[in-house]
Amino acid sequence: QVISNLFSDAQKAIAGHRKLVVGLRKIQEACVYETPAGDKSKTLRDAFDEEDFNFEFSRCVLRLMSIRRVEVVGDRLMKFVAAFLKCANAALIPAGDGDEAQYQETPASRLIAQLLSLLLQFTSSKEKTVRYRATQLIAQLINSLDSIDDEHYVLLETALLKRLKDRESTVRVQAVLGLGRLAGQDGEDEEITNNGLSNAEGLTSKLLHSLRNDPSADVRRALLLNLPLTPETLPYLLERARDTDGATRRVLYSRLLPNLGDFRHLSLSMREKLLRWGLRDRDESVRKATARLFSERWIQDCANASRDEGVGSSLETCSPDMDGLLELLERIDIVNSGIESGVAGEAMGEFWKARPDYVNEVVFGDAFWQQLTPESVYLVRTLNDFDKGKTNNTVQEKMPEVTTLAFHLMQHAHNLLRHLENDGIQAENRAEEDTVEKEFVVEQLLYIAKTADYSDEVGRRAMFHHLRDLLASPLLPDEITKLVIEILRNICGNEPTGEREFCGVILEAMAEVHDVIAPETPHVDQEGDESFHSARSELSDSTPTKPFQSQGAGTAAIQQLNEMKAVQEIMVNMKCLHIAQCMLQNVEGALQSNAQLVTMLNNLVVPAVRSHEAPIRERGLICLGLCCLLDKKLADENLTLFIHCFQKGQDALQLTAVQVLADILVTHPSLMQSPDADPDVRRIIAKIFASGMKASQAPEVRSATTTAVCKLMLTSVIQDEDLLTQIANLYFDPMTKENAGVMQTLSYSLPVYCHSKRENMELMANIAGGVMHAAVELSQDLEEGAEMVGLGVVGNMLTDWTDARKLVIQDEIAMDWDAVGRRRSQAVNGDIHLTLAQRVLERALHHGCSREERKAQMSMLGKLLVNGNSRLDKLESVNNLVIEAIDGNLA
Amino acid sequence: QVSAVPKKKEKEPFAIDFHAPLDPSIAEMIYTPASSNAAISLSKAQWKSKTRNLLPDDKHFNSKQLLRLFLKPNARMGSRRLGHGNA
Repeated sequence: QVISNLFSDAQKAIAGHRKLVVGLRKIQEACVYETPAGDKSKTLRDAFDEEDFNFEFSRCVLRLMSIRRVEVVGDRLMKFVAAFLKCANAALIPAGDGDEAQYQETPASRLIAQLLSLLLQFTSSKEKTVRYRATQLIAQLINSLDSIDDEHYVLLETALLKRLKDRESTVRVQAVLGLGRLAGQDGEDEEITNNGLSNAEGLTSKLLHSLRNDPSADVRRALLLNLPLTPETLPYLLERARDTDGATRRVLYSRLLPNLGDFRHLSLSMREKLLRWGLRDRDESVRKATARLFSERWIQDCANASRDEGVGSSLETCSPDMDGLLELLERIDIVNSGIESGVAGEAMGEFWKARPDYVNEVVFGDAFWQQLTPESVYLVRTLNDFDKGKTNNTVQEKMPEVTTLAFHLMQHAHNLLRHLENDGIQAENRAEEDTVEKEFVVEQLLYIAKTADYSDEVGRRAMFHHLRDLLASPLLPDEITKLVIEILRNICGNEPTGEREFCGVILEAMAEVHDVIAPETPHVDQEGDESFHSARSELSDSTPTKPFQSQGAGTAAIQQLNEMKAVQEIMVNMKCLHIAQCMLQNVEGALQSNAQLVTMLNNLVVPAVRSHEAPIRERGLICLGLCCLLDKKLADENLTLFIHCFQKGQDALQLTAVQVLADILVTHPSLMQSPDADPDVRRIIAKIFASGMKASQAPEVRSATTTAVCKLMLTSVIQDEDLLTQIANLYFDPMTKENAGVMQTLSYSLPVYCHSKRENMELMANIAGGVMHAAVELSQDLEEGAEMVGLGVVGNMLTDWTDARKLVIQDEIAMDWDAVGRRRSQAVNGDIHLTLAQRVLERALHHGCSREERKAQMSMLGKLLVNGNSRLDKLESVNNLVIEAIDGNLA
Repeated sequence: QVSAVPKKKEKEPFAIDFHAPLDPSIAEMIYTPASSNAAISLSKAQWKSKTRNLLPDDKHFNSKQLLRLFLKPNARMGSRRLGHGNA
């Protein structure tokens, strides 16, 4: 009775547990030991011996088994039992003894053994509550006891492994809590158990299997937090960064990773992936957790290391450490992750936001600018970006003036160019790595220059001339060329005169590039007209180190020389076309009004399109496409060329063709829409888009075509029922899941398309019956093991897409004018859903309609918006169809 | 008054009377083992997840991709008509 009193008290609150544990211990001691002194306990011992105590204790535990999961009382009592046994177990084992003592029987160990046997029996109970409580208590005991005898160890493991596959996820979670501890111990000291190491590995691998496969996110999350951290488990744990469950992903970033220890133990590619996945997560809380991880934990690992090796691992944030920050950037491989699509930009944005202490601390002196490394330049560049996004740009005082910036930029750019010139001579790997780093530095400086303020005329002029000279260097890498051109565009200003100045300066530089590398006549250019002789001498001068020079004279040498010439010709062309492309991307004025552009089109682009060299042809086509965007007539003339490219070309060419066609049509919608547009062209283009989305196409082509179609339909350039049907079908097709590009484009675009315009919605309602039918057929043709969204889901989406209440546009039908001429909004009518009902019912009444399809159709009808505002004739015809359906016993 | 009765019942905290003997129906519930292992386990089909419960590759599709040209990613669609392009 005293025991049950204690249990009764223990269920009330957790606060008094310590006292109650002591009380229970006293009773146990009294029952178990012969206490020579003290008559009171002597009498108790006479009345109750150890067996009685254990029986009574078990009886109370038994009562816990039926407490439903949601009751806090149950959890309190579980904790109480575990706390008591821990206390009893610790007290009864004589401290400081050797191995024998561990295996000695004690009253506590006998009690535990009895209890465990009881609990094991319950783990296969029919009732989920009993299984839950039994598993929970076992897990608690495993976690609070220091050791468990071998016999029970094996039994417990077996029982828990069974519960790991329990029908109830809540039971599985408890099993994980127990097994996680067992798996953790295996690594440390349990290797001596008779089952040996293979057993330990077996357990961990079973848990890892569940981590990947358990359908419940709660179970996976429990595993994530309870599995031992070892080199074997780590890849599986980190993989959860892409778990379908947001809370599981967040736990990885907010709990597992901060406790993992130094992040520098992770591989370089893993660091990048974790940052990228976390900072670009669809769930904001995951993004925040990742940002904290980066700007608090990871920086700390580096800051500590740079301060003193190994000693200071304190977790509190200490004062800013610039060397630490530079190391952090190095540790995330800034040269690769700092490129435009790389994640480092986001990471540093978050860093500056979270660490104003670092923002205040940085200073950039002259020496800093002269000795830029990829890390330090990236630091300035991201701080500059961060600062430009704010209203009070405090950092700008730390940045150099445009003139100074231009000076530093040139220093580094010339350094790079000198390096590139020597590159052919030193063939060491070191040189290549160096080149990449030097390129990176220049690129980052250009990004800073891109945002600079050019209102100061001196600085503007300095930058302009420097960049223009740079552009004329034939060795300038493509990415840098692109940036230089973009900055020049900014500097020239937005007016038409500015644009003409811009084109002029670029074309001038292009001509220089042309002259420097190809003094002889490539077939592209009619002007360069020098003799073959001079070209040859030029070539041999510039390539004294090439081995073939020494190989005998005669025809072989000449042939090689010709080959060299051809290669160089291609290079010149590619370079010029690249410059042209970057320039055209930044031009908006009409083509015909700019004579220089027309000349370039005729002398460079048109010959390139006709070239036999595939890469040249492709760049030529892109340039031609860009020119078409500037001139409708040119576009009209070349539509058939791009159509031809799609029909006959390889994947890469098809991709270009689809993109060019889409851009042309978006820019010149009248080519498709005006009354005098060629109906044949319209038909062929629709056909091309339709075939571009077919499963037989390359994934990138499919994805680009889908985006193109969505874009053109959203802008109403194309209104095509067949294409709409095709993309709707594509959306529900299980095959599409494999192409994330197509899938995500559609799941974004379809609702936007339908909800943005009444005509679009009507079009969708009109085809809904057919789309549903196609979905039914798809679900019937499913291959073994393939999964598809349920027909109910399909129905819900179709009704949602056609719900007139969700139209965002207020058009004439939605609005009208009241008696005094004020605009007012009309109640939404059900016309569109009536159209849907009509189409669906027509299908349902068709002979060939299966039961399954009808079921899905009927459940759609129940969710439609039908009201008295709707058109009478529509109501009537739907009504008739409904009557017909009821007569035919369809519903 | 009638409605007050169930309300009161809800508020009363759950507690176990450890002194009272075990209710036979509860005892039966506790001691009845499952008819078979399968009855209390996950079905085999749920043991394995095809996707490993991982998200597909995120393409971060957004309105920007619909509003820009393929060839001129920096220029927004329609800017020619709105801007200064009529020169």
